[in-house]
Amino acid sequence: MKAGEGVDNKYFHSVVLQEDMCIGCTSCLKVCPTEAIRLRDGKARIIGEKCIDCGECIRICPNHAKNAITDKLSVLQKYKYKIAIPSMVLYGQFAGKTEINAMLSALKNIGFDEIYEANMGTEIITQVTKEKIMKENNIERPLINSSCPAILRLIQIRFPDLLPNVLDIETPIEITARIAKTEAAKKTGLDISEIGVIFISPCTARVTSIRNPLGIEKSYIDAAISMKEIYGILVRNINSAAEENITKSTRESMEWPITGGQSKALGIENYIAVDGINEVIKVLEEIETGRLEGLEFFEGLACVGGCIGGPLTIENPYIAKTKMRSLAQGLPCSHISEEQLADYIKMYETNFIRLTEPIEPRAIMKLDKDISISMKKMEMINEILKYLPGLDCGVCGAPTCRAFAEDIVKGENQKSICIVKTMENFKKKKV
Amino acid sequence: MDVIQYNFNVEKDDFDRAGEASSNIKKILRQLGIDAAIIRRIAIATYEAEINIVIHSLGGEIDLEVDPGCIKITAKDRGPGIANIDLAMQEGYSTASDKVREMGFGAGMGLPNMKKCSDKFEVKSELGIGTAITMIMFI
Repeated sequence: MKAGEGVDNKYFHSVVLQEDMCIGCTSCLKVCPTEAIRLRDGKARIIGEKCIDCGECIRICPNHAKNAITDKLSVLQKYKYKIAIPSMVLYGQFAGKTEINAMLSALKNIGFDEIYEANMGTEIITQVTKEKIMKENNIERPLINSSCPAILRLIQIRFPDLLPNVLDIETPIEITARIAKTEAAKKTGLDISEIGVIFISPCTARVTSIRNPLGIEKSYIDAAISMKEIYGILVRNINSAAEENITKSTRESMEWPITGGQSKALGIENYIAVDGINEVIKVLEEIETGRLEGLEFFEGLACVGGCIGGPLTIENPYIAKTKMRSLAQGLPCSHISEEQLADYIKMYETNFIRLTEPIEPRAIMKLDKDISISMKKMEMINEILKYLPGLDCGVCGAPTCRAFAEDIVKGENQKSICIVKTMENFKKKKV
Repeated sequence: MDVIQYNFNVEKDDFDRAGEASSNIKKILRQLGIDAAIIRRIAIATYEAEINIVIHSLGGEIDLEVDPGCIKITAKDRGPGIANIDLAMQEGYSTASDKVREMGFGAGMGLPNMKKCSDKFEVKSELGIGTAITMIMFI
């Protein structure tokens, strides 16, 4: 079964393979940070249990065979009242001097009744983290951002011991969706099921998290449209729509989706902000072994540059960053009143914006439930490894010789063989 | 097989590769299905031992032994040895050079930290020959 198929939401993934386009090269095998891809019968297969939806394979695939399942614009027809929440990354995707209001007006014009910007969520997270969570001493340090779903899933698999450090607060988009839906229901008198909140997403992992959420029971976001998908329509619509004054973005919110933006908004010094999934893994290793003592906040983002490097974006992350910084120059600084802050903290305390479900460790790396069987299996893996060339060429379909040996021992590889070894044996026989 | 054994070489002054042995050991233990909290303790202790070999010795090795009841880490080195083990076990005591301290190492927490992380802990050292540290954690 291909990932993403079937009714079981447990292993639903937004990242899928378009089989007819896959030529069975080994590019994606090599970049997958959780070794979740194998080549079988000449096509890439995603192991649902291991995939964290980071989108690295989408980015690298030279044949564009890796894709993301997202919703189509027609999803709007399902709802009487339609709200769009564009990721703030959208602001960095357009040419030269395009104004934020021009972008948002164009988006609204496509068929939305209202636009909510995610800055509402970023303000709340920043304030609640700073004024409430960081003041509590019984929470493990460093606190880890909960905003990157690929990193959360990575921590579940590779750093389960750090799960208690994760901030128990929702993401900006989810918080904004909750507020938007509640306000719209009040305003329109419609039932909540008739109101559709649609996220314009730069992120594959976020798409997965909407259907299969982490830390909450159900997402208030009803659908996610890929930024890539909607981009053409937006570009054609820009400046043709009557421009409305929609944006409430602030300088701080504009920097939030750029690596370091979250930490900077907190106004603290001893933080570390890391982007790119492999660098994040390295720094989490250091944290896990207690090497970064005194660190208060860890901001980890799977994509290079932060969310601006998301696999569903158009613009190069560095160019997008420059554009967003220049747009931020014209924006006001964030200002929160005492009452607003009290409101935000109340939202947190009443669980409205809090992660209420435990994020469980997922020990998918282990070879067996029983440790003595695990030990036997490891012994077998080491035996097999002695006969393998150690080139990690990927031609067998596994990313490394070790993964090949593991697959055999786990019974997950019945068919594929080591070509290098076979060739060697063949040459020997000839002589 | 009831025991799994691995051996890792640790080179003198190779700060670049320091951490490789503890990182590999962590991976092995995770595959064996060892509890995450125990893995973390072992990773911290092994890293300290590894760094000690890099900083203070002429080189050495780290051995991992796992049986279904316990995990044993042995860190052996060739080098000056420890003149006064009781003193070395005190938090904050260090013989590391200023240069090493500037790099953020040599805070004098190595041995005490290792002991804290282990269920059984033993240091044997001979001046001019080397040091062997044995740490046992029960599963």
